[in-house]
Amino acid sequence: MFKGLRMIGASAVFAFAFAAQAVAQANCIDLKTAAEVEKEVVNDKGEKSKVLAPAATVIPGTEVVMTVTASNTCKQPSDKVVISNPVPEHMTFVPGSAIGAGSDISYSVDGKVFAAIDKLSVTEGGATRPARAEDVKHIRWEFKNSLQPGASAFGRFRAVLN
Amino acid sequence: MGLTPLPQSVAGPGAGSTRKREEFLVLRSTRLMVVAGAFSLLGSWANKAHATGVAAGTSIDNTAQVTYQVGSVNATATSNTSSVMVAEILDVVVTLQTPSVPVLAGATQRAMLFRVTNTGNGAETFQLEMTSVLGGDDFDPTAAAPSIYFDTDASGDLSPGDAPYTAGGNDPVLNADAFITVLVANDIPAGVIDGNRGFSRLTATSRTGTGAPGTAFAGKGSGNTDAVVGTTGGDGEATGEYLVAGIAVNAVKSATVADQFGGTRPVPGARINYTIVVSTTGTGTASASVFNDGIPANTTYVPGTLRLNNAALSDAADADAGDFSTTPSASVRVQLGNLTQASGSQTIQFAVTIN
Repeated sequence: MFKGLRMIGASAVFAFAFAAQAVAQANCIDLKTAAEVEKEVVNDKGEKSKVLAPAATVIPGTEVVMTVTASNTCKQPSDKVVISNPVPEHMTFVPGSAIGAGSDISYSVDGKVFAAIDKLSVTEGGATRPARAEDVKHIRWEFKNSLQPGASAFGRFRAVLN
Repeated sequence: MGLTPLPQSVAGPGAGSTRKREEFLVLRSTRLMVVAGAFSLLGSWANKAHATGVAAGTSIDNTAQVTYQVGSVNATATSNTSSVMVAEILDVVVTLQTPSVPVLAGATQRAMLFRVTNTGNGAETFQLEMTSVLGGDDFDPTAAAPSIYFDTDASGDLSPGDAPYTAGGNDPVLNADAFITVLVANDIPAGVIDGNRGFSRLTATSRTGTGAPGTAFAGKGSGNTDAVVGTTGGDGEATGEYLVAGIAVNAVKSATVADQFGGTRPVPGARINYTIVVSTTGTGTASASVFNDGIPANTTYVPGTLRLNNAALSDAADADAGDFSTTPSASVRVQLGNLTQASGSQTIQFAVTIN
C-alpha cells in the first residue's frame, strides 16, 4: 500500500487587500476641447443674446472661443488638476479673455515659466521687453479644489485668427 | 520709367492767322512739348507689409493637456484636437498709378496705369472692366480697342510688348498679396480745350463672388475651403483723369513809320520800326520757340536794329538769341526758348527802310 505523502498545508488564505497605488486608475479625467465662435441671436421678442456655435471655417480676424472641459469619470476625487492649453499657431491670444472658475490662471511665452502676463518678458535680438498678448504661447489653469467624481471643471480663452 | 508724352509739332493758333507775309510775322514754335509734373509710378502703397492673414485652407488645430492626482498617483490626459479651417477672403484693391495724364486734343492711344492687388488670403481670379462714360468731368475719353492691356514689359506705359486683356480669356490669377499692373487706353476727342478733364475707370471683380462683406460661398474658396466676401465687397475700382494741356502762342505786330524829313510818310527812304509782342497762354510749354519774320519785299533791313526785350542782338549768327539771315530769303530770327504762360510777353523789335 502506497501511502502517499500528503502534504496538507495549512495554508492560510490570505486576503490581500490591494492598496490603491501603483497601477491604479490613470484614466479619471476625460478632457475635451471645443473651438467656437460667438454669434448674436435675436429672439422673437427682439432681444439680442450671444450664443456659441461650432467654428468650422473662419476668416482671418475672427475671434475664436476655445473651451477645455475636464470631467472626472472615476469614483475618487482628482486633486491638483492643472489644465494647460497652447495658443494655436496663427492665432493671437486676446488678453484678459482667459476664465476658469476656481482656478489660478497663468501664462507662458516659452512653455517653461508660467506667471501673470505682466510678469513675463521676452528677449528679442539681445533686448528684453515686457511680454505682449501676441507673445503668449501657453495658458494654464490650476484648480484650487479637488475635482469630485462626476464633476467637470473648465477653462476658456479667446484668440483671434491672424 | 516715365510716362512722357511724345513731342509733337503743333503750330500755335497765332501762326494760323497769318495774312500778308510782308505785313505780319510768321511765328513758328518748332516743337510743342507738353510737360507736366513728375509722376510717381509706384505710388505710396507698399504691399510687402500688408498682412492678408493666414492662408486659406490652413487647418488651425487645438489640443489641451491636463495633469492631476488620484490619491498618490500622478496622471495626465490629452484632449481631442479641435480643428478650424481657414476660409478664403475675397478682397481686391485697385490703385491709380498715374496722376493726371496730360493729353492734346485728338490724341490717340493715351494710357493710364493701374495696379490690381489681391488683398485676400488665397489665390483668386479677377475680371477687369473699364469705362470712360463717367460724370463729373468735361469730356468722355473714347475707349480704344482694345482698351485694357497688361503692362507686360513693365515699362509703365503702353508699348508694343504689352498684352491686350480679353475678359474670360486671360483674366489675371493673383496669389494673396500679389498684384498686376494694367494699362487703360483711350483716345481723346478733337473738340476739347486746354484745362478740360476726362475720367476713365478700371474695375476688378473677384470671379468667385462679390457682395456684402461676410457673404459666404460654401466650398468655393481656394484650398477647398469656403470663400467669404471681405470688407472690399470682393471688387475694387480706381478712376484716373486725362488733362487737356494746350498752349496758345500769340503775336501782335505793330509798326511806326519815320521818314527822313521828320514826318511819318511811308516814302522811299523812310524807316519802318516794327514791334512784335509774343505772349503765351494756357498750360504746358512751347519749347525751343523761334520767332521768324521775313523782311518785307521792297524794304531793306537796317543792320543792328534787332532787339529782344530792349536788349540789342547782333545780326550775326552767334551765341546770342538773334540773327539776320539772307538765306533762303532776308529774315530776322530770335530764339525765344521755352515759353510758358509764366514767361510773360516777349518784345521783338527791328527796323527796315523802304527801298
